[in-house]
Amino acid sequence: MSSSLEQIVMSTRSLSSTGDFKELTALLPKHIEILTRNHQHLDNVLETLDLGHHSIGMLAVMYVKMNLFANSNNSTLEQFKLLLPQLQEFIHCCNKEQVLFAWETFADLCHLITNQLIDFGIPITGIKLMMKAIRKLQTRDTHLTAVHADLCKLCLASKCLKPALKYLEKDISQIDTGEDAKQFLLYFYYGGMIYTALKKYEKALYCFEVCTMTPAQAISHIMVEAYKKFMLVSPILIGKVQFLPNYTCNLVKRHVKRLCAPYVELSNVYCTNNCDEMKRIIRKYEESLIRDKNLGLANQVLNSLYKKNIQRLTNTFLTLSLTDVAARVKLSNIAEAEKYILNMIEDAEIFAVINQTDGMVVFLDDPEKYNSPRMLAKLEKEMEECVELGKKVLQMEEEVITAPTYIRKVCGGNEQEEQALANSPAQNATTTQVQGKQNTYTM
Amino acid sequence: MVVLNNLEEILVKLEEEELNSDDGSVNPETYCQMLAIYLYQNELCLAKFLWQRIPANVKMACSDLRKIWSVGKKMWTRDWEEVHIALNVEWNANVREIMQALKGKVQERVLKLVGDAYASLDLVTLSKMIGMSLDKTKEVAEQRGWNLVGNTVKPTKAVPKSNASTTETIAEEQLHKLTQFVSFLEN
Amino acid sequence: MLQFIQQNMVEPMQVDAPPEDNDNTEEDPFIVENPTLDLEVYANSYTGLARLFRLIYIADHCPSLRIEALKMAINYVMATYNVSMYTTLHKKLAQAVSAPVLPDVAVQSTSQDIPTIDQAWVDSRSKKAAMKLEKFDTDLKNYKSNSIKESIRRGHDDLGDHYLDCGDLVNALRCYSRARDYCTSGKHVVNMCWNVLKVSIYIQNWTHVLSYVTKAQNTPDFPDIQGKENNMGIITKLKVAAGLAELATRKYKAAAKLFLQASLDHCDFPEILSPGNVALYGGLCALATFDRFELQKQVIFSGSFKLFLELEPQLRDIIFKFYESKYASCLKLLDEIKDNILLDMYIAPHVNMLYTQIRNRALIQYFSPYLSADMRRMATAFNRTVPALEDELMQLILEGQIQARIDSHNKILYAKDVDQRSTTFEKSILLGKEYRQRTRMLILRAAMLKHNVQVKCPTVNSNLNSDMSIGSGSSSHSLPRN
Repeated sequence: MSSSLEQIVMSTRSLSSTGDFKELTALLPKHIEILTRNHQHLDNVLETLDLGHHSIGMLAVMYVKMNLFANSNNSTLEQFKLLLPQLQEFIHCCNKEQVLFAWETFADLCHLITNQLIDFGIPITGIKLMMKAIRKLQTRDTHLTAVHADLCKLCLASKCLKPALKYLEKDISQIDTGEDAKQFLLYFYYGGMIYTALKKYEKALYCFEVCTMTPAQAISHIMVEAYKKFMLVSPILIGKVQFLPNYTCNLVKRHVKRLCAPYVELSNVYCTNNCDEMKRIIRKYEESLIRDKNLGLANQVLNSLYKKNIQRLTNTFLTLSLTDVAARVKLSNIAEAEKYILNMIEDAEIFAVINQTDGMVVFLDDPEKYNSPRMLAKLEKEMEECVELGKKVLQMEEEVITAPTYIRKVCGGNEQEEQALANSPAQNATTTQVQGKQNTYTM
Repeated sequence: MVVLNNLEEILVKLEEEELNSDDGSVNPETYCQMLAIYLYQNELCLAKFLWQRIPANVKMACSDLRKIWSVGKKMWTRDWEEVHIALNVEWNANVREIMQALKGKVQERVLKLVGDAYASLDLVTLSKMIGMSLDKTKEVAEQRGWNLVGNTVKPTKAVPKSNASTTETIAEEQLHKLTQFVSFLEN
Repeated sequence: MLQFIQQNMVEPMQVDAPPEDNDNTEEDPFIVENPTLDLEVYANSYTGLARLFRLIYIADHCPSLRIEALKMAINYVMATYNVSMYTTLHKKLAQAVSAPVLPDVAVQSTSQDIPTIDQAWVDSRSKKAAMKLEKFDTDLKNYKSNSIKESIRRGHDDLGDHYLDCGDLVNALRCYSRARDYCTSGKHVVNMCWNVLKVSIYIQNWTHVLSYVTKAQNTPDFPDIQGKENNMGIITKLKVAAGLAELATRKYKAAAKLFLQASLDHCDFPEILSPGNVALYGGLCALATFDRFELQKQVIFSGSFKLFLELEPQLRDIIFKFYESKYASCLKLLDEIKDNILLDMYIAPHVNMLYTQIRNRALIQYFSPYLSADMRRMATAFNRTVPALEDELMQLILEGQIQARIDSHNKILYAKDVDQRSTTFEKSILLGKEYRQRTRMLILRAAMLKHNVQVKCPTVNSNLNSDMSIGSGSSSHSLPRN
């Protein structure tokens, strides 16, 4: 073993024993560089380190190993299967407090593993591993880490989507996804794709919306792709394209429409409620839809347009013959119309009764009279959620108001005033609180 | 009925088994059970993706798996007649109970739908939709109090059972919640 | 702006060419077959370019009146210096005469006295025009060297008038606008505005029209310029000009309100519109956009507008029939005047739209007192087949204009009783859902800003470089407010 490697081992040991993990983390890039140069001795270095005590040192070695493996041209699945247990052991047993200092390198390691798993066609075997990795980096379960996106990616690649849901359902309160927003965007983009695949369009739309409204100095491809899907999911869910929230950064607002021209046209056609035209436009842009892997989704948009048009009929007619339904919605025959109506009745999307004898459909109003205990319970639950959220906002507001930086900003650096304010923080808090309250209601 | 009561538990175990496997695949029986349970829970999306990720050689080797999925495929398109045709086969012991329960569940689902959606329909259509013989269908229709005129069935809507008894017990709790809510609004 | 005008005015005859701000007015090349228009009387209600433009419009859209209209236009144009218009008119006339299909036998008989192009006139007129131009130009130069503001202003105006007479709208506009710097009183400013307005209307630059109307109205001592009596005249001019612009940009209600403020006694600007036009435009727009109460108060009981309506008795009848709920005869009368108003260059592009809106209003009012209505009877009242009526009603219901449902089986329209309680519940549940969604997003966004999540500039970036500086992280420390 060369002296430089010995030095690494030495400093890792001494800094770990004194608890100077911050300094050790600062040395990581240098360590990684030296280790890469002396890669033939990696296992020797490994032997001198203890997983529980020297997790950061181990991390460096693991990272170098994985990086070399990923970048070599003739790596095989057999080799990877030899390496994998080592990596698994490291992720399972490393010291949480220590790797938290070097979480960026840890996350990079996870990205490398994820990509290899996918390349070798065994993504499903990495799901558990990434769940473990997330737990190592999380300080609480609403904490979004840089590994979340890897988990989602593995789930998508393996078509085993269920494990990701547990994570996606959490409301995020803390975000550590690294310098650029890539991992953050990826997480929400993959999340949106997972929800779309499971036909949970409301949540999918939320994810894609997060992607597009992320503050940006430049438009990332992920945002553009997310916006494309946003424009397809939105009509399926709410029957029109939802506007982007007004805090979406101007850059995105200005360019995203131009970058997604076929989709803009698609949504414009959707608004005309013309199914034939919609078919035509999907055919027209078939190529780019296939390229974006959005053709299936686009066909679902078409399907939803048929359903929307049937819904429109229920708002206009009390009775209508199946023949008229088929003609007005432009379905090919009565049987198809009956099938659509039947399915929509089952999904409670319309309320109607079909009479096969005379071929008429009677459209009814929503029978919900909002007087059942079940409905009351539902209302209460929803109200409770609102209250909870309201409280959360208030709490956040308070945090901001009492933060010294905020007070300084508000007072414009006036020393005396700041002094005065510091003496009566309660009073200040209450007045602003009222404002905050109004804000939440005008939203 | 042992299996049906702990379906969720069994499913979790099966899912874990899959995730913990070394090469990402498990034996055909596990796949069969998972697929059947997803269908029973009407989690068609999950079923579809499970089918897609099952290795091709396993699919080829296991005819049961293919048979279960052919039910799923028809459920996806809600082609009830075909669902029943696909369901009417001999099942292996490890999925028999679930698949039979699925059949009952689908029948119940279709009957409720017919009650909601039709003022009148052809008896033959109905019998195909619930996968029963004409005589049996007549019987079921009469049980539900549906009128039979010639070969036409006139279903009536099932009245949702109102559980009035629960209303009183939750009154106090509701009052409490209401106070909470009002206090939130006023603050 | 000027560049655009120039572009548009290479061929000054292209009045049909839609300018930028109303490019969505689809100008289908429609043909009117049977107008009942006395061309002579019609033409005499206008002077200057207005008369010429209108005659050309009729010639373009009505084959049976084409030759007569062109002849009248040629006669009229010979009194001006508009040589280019003269030649274009002759070209058009030659085309019309040689056209194989001449539907009217009477026209053929008169084809002998078709005027031919008089090259001598063209030459002498062009020479004279040039001389006049030179004179005005030198005059203006003299004024300028003496720097007497008032003379310079007049010089500009004279030059503008001359350009207008020659049909050179671009230069006319330029001269009139230049007068602006030499205005010494409010009166002059208003006068300048009116000159610019006129030309802008000819060019159909409606944004320009509206901005100059505002400019005139904002002139400091606008209310008491030239005494009370004269002032009404200016107000009427401005209102009508603005109304025209609103009409052209499809803001029919605003247009109606503006036209209704005109005063007949002061409605004297044949170089733009006739009083009858004001009645027609105002009346139709009001009918299409006003509710019953507005119609009663602002049209039927309006003392000043009543005088306008007397000029167009047919329109007056239409409005009163509508108000009396005699929809069948109202719609029939509307159809009768349709051919004539389709020959009006300003309202023609909007006729179909306005008619549909009037029809819809009639349908809504017809049904408003009923709980249920027999669609067969309704169809007779509105002169439609039942399926066509069904389509119309469907559209209105979908737009929320009629609260009703159609029983297509029995062809009966039922008023929909809205369950207030249920809709309230429905709405509040929806609102709650929205609140939760937005608050969630807000909380997430706060977390994003707190942790400084932001898409940074990638190193490889092709075309977005120019926008890089926008939205740098300065906002990342403040809580998002809605």
